Amino acid sequence: MPSANCLRNFSQLSLDATAHSTAASRFLQPRVACFSTSAARYANPQMKKKGMTAAPKKGVKTLNTKKSKGASGADAGKRPAQGERKAQRKRIVLSNNNALEVSSLKDLTKTNVLSEANEGLVMGLPEPVVDALRDVEAFKTTQGWSFFRRPAVLVRKEAIQLAKLFKAAEEAAPGKDKKTIRRILTGNRMSGKSTLLLQGLSMAFLRQWFVISLPECQDIVNAHTDYAPLEGSEPTQYTQDTYTAALLSQTLKANKAYFENAKITQKHDLAVPLPAKAKLSDLVAIGVANPEASWSVFKALWTELSQPGQPQILLAAEGLSHIMQNSEYMNADVKPIHAHDLTIVRHFVDHLSGVKQLPNGGVVLAATSKSNAPASPAMDFRIKSAEALKIQTSIPQWNPYTNGDARTMEALKDLENPKADLDILEVGGLSKEEARSIMEYYAESGMLRHQVNDGLVTEKWSLAGMGNIGELERASVRARI
Amino acid sequence: MPPRLNVSAFSRSIAFRPKPQVQWPARSALRVAPSQTRTYADDKAPAQDRSHKPSSEPIEHVSEEAAKTAQIMGEQGPDVNQGTPVEDLVKGDKEAQKNLPKVMQDALKQGKKTPAPKGSRSYSTMTTRSNEGMDMGLVDFEAVSKLPVTPGLKFEAPTLPLPKDGHVKHRYDPVVEQVTNLLMRHGKKSVAQRQMAVVLQHLRTSPIPTINPARPLLAGAPPPSHLPLNPVLYLTLAIDSVAPLLRIRAIKGAAGGGMALQMPAPLSQRQRRRTAIQWILGAASKRRNTGSGKNSLGQRVAQEMISVIEGKSGVWDRRNAVHKLGVAARANIVLPKRR
Repeated sequence: MPSANCLRNFSQLSLDATAHSTAASRFLQPRVACFSTSAARYANPQMKKKGMTAAPKKGVKTLNTKKSKGASGADAGKRPAQGERKAQRKRIVLSNNNALEVSSLKDLTKTNVLSEANEGLVMGLPEPVVDALRDVEAFKTTQGWSFFRRPAVLVRKEAIQLAKLFKAAEEAAPGKDKKTIRRILTGNRMSGKSTLLLQGLSMAFLRQWFVISLPECQDIVNAHTDYAPLEGSEPTQYTQDTYTAALLSQTLKANKAYFENAKITQKHDLAVPLPAKAKLSDLVAIGVANPEASWSVFKALWTELSQPGQPQILLAAEGLSHIMQNSEYMNADVKPIHAHDLTIVRHFVDHLSGVKQLPNGGVVLAATSKSNAPASPAMDFRIKSAEALKIQTSIPQWNPYTNGDARTMEALKDLENPKADLDILEVGGLSKEEARSIMEYYAESGMLRHQVNDGLVTEKWSLAGMGNIGELERASVRARI
Repeated sequence: MPPRLNVSAFSRSIAFRPKPQVQWPARSALRVAPSQTRTYADDKAPAQDRSHKPSSEPIEHVSEEAAKTAQIMGEQGPDVNQGTPVEDLVKGDKEAQKNLPKVMQDALKQGKKTPAPKGSRSYSTMTTRSNEGMDMGLVDFEAVSKLPVTPGLKFEAPTLPLPKDGHVKHRYDPVVEQVTNLLMRHGKKSVAQRQMAVVLQHLRTSPIPTINPARPLLAGAPPPSHLPLNPVLYLTLAIDSVAPLLRIRAIKGAAGGGMALQMPAPLSQRQRRRTAIQWILGAASKRRNTGSGKNSLGQRVAQEMISVIEGKSGVWDRRNAVHKLGVAARANIVLPKRR
């Protein structure tokens, strides 16, 4: 604390400046002591009086370059609050009250969700599942949920394949060798990859699996959330506290049924003290409330889920190519951090590549994207080789002049191995029967005002590029005319 | 003596003008081609003139025929000087009554009561859609009729009526197409089409509009609950309801003293729609943009359409002003004198 005397001297100094005016002219501009603002505050600003200049003579035109103030076109109304516009843009609407109720629509239930009898039918999603899917942000704004009375999905051929995988994982669960089935959803743009992932999520919710879903991989790596190096990791990994806390919060909401009865069985080393008789949901709630503890809470949750007798796990991620390259984060040497060095991504990729197995069995699902995807030559190459394996043609050669990401190549190398359980699930076009089924649903909802006959189905199926479901919806429901 | 014509029975129903039946003119291959040679109307004794032959005389009226028969039979037939109304002929004959036109059936049911006249306005500023009824937007739902099989055709004859989207250049609804073209800026049609899709989607998902009785929509409009499920009709109804019937043409100097003469001029249907669309688009672009992103213009246009249907839009005042001016300027119309 400087003495009062010292301060007074200092302020005197600037007042003395009047004595040697030329040298200190630039200090004099405010004409007040530097450490006092009172004079400036109380000084009356000298307003230039209006109308001092003579009025222009009659008949003489004067140049007026100023734009008129308060023009009639200016909008003086209240602006939308901060974030309101974005919220409106990102709003998910799952119901249209004008659409007709489809009488023949049946709901998916725990018993029939994995059955093959549903193939080619449009099935409704039950209310609790819709809530859970909303919690994990499985619905996208670009999908056409807002046209229909309530969310419903077409159980297509690929969905049946997925159901078989779920069944296989469930059947293996009680035995000794648990199964971790890993699949990458690929396919053309608008072919329904995200919706198939959503169907996988709803299967898991209905079968009471534990679901951890990364709704959009871009959000993890685009450096919009804070990050910090993880202590004691070699090579250095980075935690993302805010993101992890948000993920924990989503997981807590989505798996409500599981957390109701789940207890803490293990001892965990946490920075934040746990209350006595805490349940597992309390543990996760601590991670949500204290982002700095979120990663250790996530690890603790995983340890609990790894205990025998716990449910199967579905790990899902959307937009895979974002995490198959360098992230936007920088390390201390201002070098980009690879996405696999972020703890959450590492956790997912380890299970996708088979480095770690799901403790009680389950499914790891990753959906690629064709509309919002950075180029990832290594991933594309691995997927192409998996496709070649499927149709039994020669495996493509890696172009040595392209810059591939070595860690991605390594992580996805099981795609080239026919024995490994990492594979692609190719989402193709609908068959005409499936197209007819979904178009009948459109017509029954009142969204397609046309008689659904063979001619119409074939026409739209062809217009949609051999049954690409997104294009089919665009051609029949969203008339772009 | 058979009963005479009941004049009072026709007093109201005669005013009815039946709609011209829209029917495919079925062309028969057996139709006689018209003669290639033309004759003057006053040609003496043309070869084909058969108008004087007894076979070309028109068939006699029922009453005349009955009178002749009665004369032959030696009885007293009906009085030929007066016509016999159809009602009398079919009286008591239920089978024949079934085949009567609807108006006459209604008149029979109504009896001798005369309905009260409707409407009190001296002039009308409403318009009805002239030829077709309200387009319900349904495709392929009309009963199809097949043309009679004609031998010698390579392909099967089409089913009638032809589908609305059957012609590649006119496959879309004319109103939707017109709005799209007026939405278009800098020749970017696909952008306009996307905005149009947003408009239709917004109309489809917005709640059922409440109609303001002070702003009546087009006559024959469906109930508002039908509108959201048929967005094209919604759009058409909004546009046609506020479309002005006329425009005011200012003829320079014709009023004398350097004044322009205000002359009302009628607009065609397409012109009327164009004016209405431009008013609506102008009002929409002045609306506050509350959202963000590329869909906001489409949303504002759709909100303006809804406010037109609900009678809240300022476009209605504009139309009423034009109509009022048009009524005032009626006096300027000078019709050619009758000779």
